[in-house]
Amino acid sequence: MDKQTLKHIAELSRINLTDQELEKFTPQMETILDSAKQLQKIDTKGVSPMKRHVPFSDLREDIPQKSLTQEDVLKNAKYKENGHIKVYGKIFGSIEES
Amino acid sequence: MNKENYDIIIGLEIHIQSKTESKMFCTCPTHYFSKQPNTHVCPTCLGLPGALPVPNRRAIELCILLGLATNCDIDSEIHFDRKHYFYPDLPKGYQISQYKRPICSDGYIEIRDEDGKKYSIGIERIHQEEDVAKSTHHTEGNLEYSLIDYNKSGVPLIEIVSKPNIRSAYQAKEYASKIRQIVRYLGISDADMEKGQMRCEPNISVQTKGTWEYKNGEILPIGENKLNSKVEVKNIGSISAVEKSIEYEVERMIKEIEEGKKIVQQTRGWNADKGVTEFQRSKETADDYRYMPDPDIPIIEISEEDIERISKEIVELPDEKKDRYLTTYSLSEYDSNVLTADRDISKYFEYILEILSKDMDTQKAAKAASNWLTGAVFSIANDKKIDINESNIPKESLSYLILEFEKKILTRNKAEELLRESLEQKKDLKELISKAIEESKENTGNLDSIADEVIKDNPKAVSDFKSGKQATIGYLVGQVMQKTKGSADPNKAKLVLIEKLNG
Repeated sequence: MDKQTLKHIAELSRINLTDQELEKFTPQMETILDSAKQLQKIDTKGVSPMKRHVPFSDLREDIPQKSLTQEDVLKNAKYKENGHIKVYGKIFGSIEES
Repeated sequence: MNKENYDIIIGLEIHIQSKTESKMFCTCPTHYFSKQPNTHVCPTCLGLPGALPVPNRRAIELCILLGLATNCDIDSEIHFDRKHYFYPDLPKGYQISQYKRPICSDGYIEIRDEDGKKYSIGIERIHQEEDVAKSTHHTEGNLEYSLIDYNKSGVPLIEIVSKPNIRSAYQAKEYASKIRQIVRYLGISDADMEKGQMRCEPNISVQTKGTWEYKNGEILPIGENKLNSKVEVKNIGSISAVEKSIEYEVERMIKEIEEGKKIVQQTRGWNADKGVTEFQRSKETADDYRYMPDPDIPIIEISEEDIERISKEIVELPDEKKDRYLTTYSLSEYDSNVLTADRDISKYFEYILEILSKDMDTQKAAKAASNWLTGAVFSIANDKKIDINESNIPKESLSYLILEFEKKILTRNKAEELLRESLEQKKDLKELISKAIEESKENTGNLDSIADEVIKDNPKAVSDFKSGKQATIGYLVGQVMQKTKGSADPNKAKLVLIEKLNG
């Protein structure tokens, strides 16, 4: 982990870090990664991934149920306008991702 | 500018909102169009901590159905992944999508190229994901802000990625409209582009001839050649805009290259009012979505029996239907195209055909039904701006009309008049037909006496006819028609008149 990588990762989450913060967090992040790396030492040959499998028929049926009220949805929003959640700042232009 | 020196290379990404009742990973209702904002939302599609996604079986069935209809391989396991990016339309901070293992892969569909020949367009993959929220952007003095409505967030979304073997704007348009036709036929989506139920994003590049090759589904440079970058176009709101935006973009890129400029990889937006593409952002750095398997969703196993069951939902697709109309019914290419373009129309046609076939030879019945539908019915429906369906024009009544015409009890003019009258004055077509037939029977009975009357009232025309002016008969027939208010059969009237005059 170097400062450049950390800066990139922070920017992907729209977090601005000062140079001082980058200095401080880089070694901390490195420690975290080192701890996680210990897992890579374990020999997993022949061990299948531990993820639950379900048969297709077990999936949820397509039946709609009641949603929250608009009032409840907006309860935690800091800013709101006409039933919408309001977000300040230009994020990146007017491009809608999907 | 010399276009002949370049090849056009297009790959198309299409997003389709599936027609399910509930969202992809939660039970919120999907029908959000023109509803109050943030009323179709729950902790899951709002991305609240601790909320868990539960996949919708029907949505996945529809995705598999589309894969089967487009000749794809269907995976035996479904794996969902997280695609991370930070944007307010995505409350969790990631979109649940599929990365390494799409449900469907390596398919194709056939289109007709400009020269009428069949051309096969490859499908790289079809995968299941979830839609994001709707955001609109505004300013308040110097402050910019967005308003977010999460109703759309979590609606099932199918992404279809073509192989880059689309070679012209025309092919791209044909491909997009064929995909739209298939998803509508199979009831996967209404695919209304204006409502955002279908979105098309072409990736376009132009390459100098002889500098590239298409190998294993990829565009690769030959030898030391460098490929020109591609441009992605967004904000396309109609099928015709697919073609127009690509045509515009190809011309723009060729001009840039001819001027010695380098094409920068970028996203551009189609401006339909101005008919141009506009720069949105450059894509010089690769997207960094940090995909990872979604730990909240188990691996879903799909059995042969599941696929078998889903494949039963495949109805006869437009191309097969068209072939059948051409060969079994001997309809014209044009009529077959028109009648199969929309599944509702083809169903309507087939129903009429079924009724008519009880009294007529099938080929004759098909021809009659096709002539009436593509002719008078389409033109009147078009004039009146109504859809051709059971409530506007009941199939039983239309079949009755066609039969009475074929039996020569109603003339074409009279039949069309009745159809128009029923639509204009919202009158029951069946009743109008019965009344018209009765009138015409009365008149036919009276034809004899009406003919006598006409002969008596027009001594000049009669003597002209008798002295050899054969054409005068037309005038006399006209007089009979006038007296019967158009309900008599002119041919019959002519025969009766001639018999009397010669007798």
